[in-house]
Amino acid sequence: MAKEYAQCEIDMTPMIDVVFQLIIFFVVTMQMNQDSNQDIVLEDGKNGIILTADSMPPTTLEIEVDRRGRVSIHNATLTERNLRDILRARINKHGNEFPVLIRADRRTMHEKVRKVMDICTSSGLWKLSFVAVEEHKKQDSK
Amino acid sequence: MAYQRKQKKGESPKLDMTPMIDVVFQLLIFFVVTLKQEDILSKLDAARPAPNTDERVKDKPQELINIIVAPQGFIFNGRPMRIQELDRSIERLSGYSKTAMVIIKCTSDSAHAFLIQALDVCYKHGMTNLSIFSM
Repeated sequence: MAKEYAQCEIDMTPMIDVVFQLIIFFVVTMQMNQDSNQDIVLEDGKNGIILTADSMPPTTLEIEVDRRGRVSIHNATLTERNLRDILRARINKHGNEFPVLIRADRRTMHEKVRKVMDICTSSGLWKLSFVAVEEHKKQDSK
Repeated sequence: MAYQRKQKKGESPKLDMTPMIDVVFQLLIFFVVTLKQEDILSKLDAARPAPNTDERVKDKPQELINIIVAPQGFIFNGRPMRIQELDRSIERLSGYSKTAMVIIKCTSDSAHAFLIQALDVCYKHGMTNLSIFSM
């Protein structure tokens, strides 16, 4: 016969296990450093090749062009000369076969993008790719 | 006086889990709140013509499709059109040949969005031999 005032204890172990699993998941998926320009609004490109971490070799160079034509890599602003130097150094190191992604704002004028394309072409990089949005997930994007 | 252990020998000490669970829940809530889903991105490849492209085109004549990206929209076969019409035109042409070279000529004052739309339409219909010229 059970005692009348017996304290029942809940076993916390499974709950703690699950909570730790969740924490580890969030820590792993969290991006602490936003090293790309977050102000850039990309155009939809539902038919392009989906960009995944696996499909991008480590040598991939992503050049950002914002609405006003500011050119940057990893959100660090570059002048034309800086960009040329970076491209030259990369070509010396990896050859001219590395993928170049141009992440340009949808509102920017073509002449700003053209400048970047011209610098790439004159450095010997003819294969360029443009980044677009396959599927919107962010709440604040259109 | 010698220090005497209060714990009995055979009994395991009970750890108070409450503060740990509190902290862990705090962390969990922090991560849930700060989680931001990223957009899925795609890439659209295009080539910029190499300096000797003109000669190569002369040597080996091939079908060319010209699309002009203007500030107001697109010009295809000399006719201004919107993206839906361009989509239909490219769809029709892709039926004949998917390997035809598509030359996208961009005016300097056109928005980058139009170029992406034109590239996207070409990708949609399997035209992957794309070149971009700037005007």
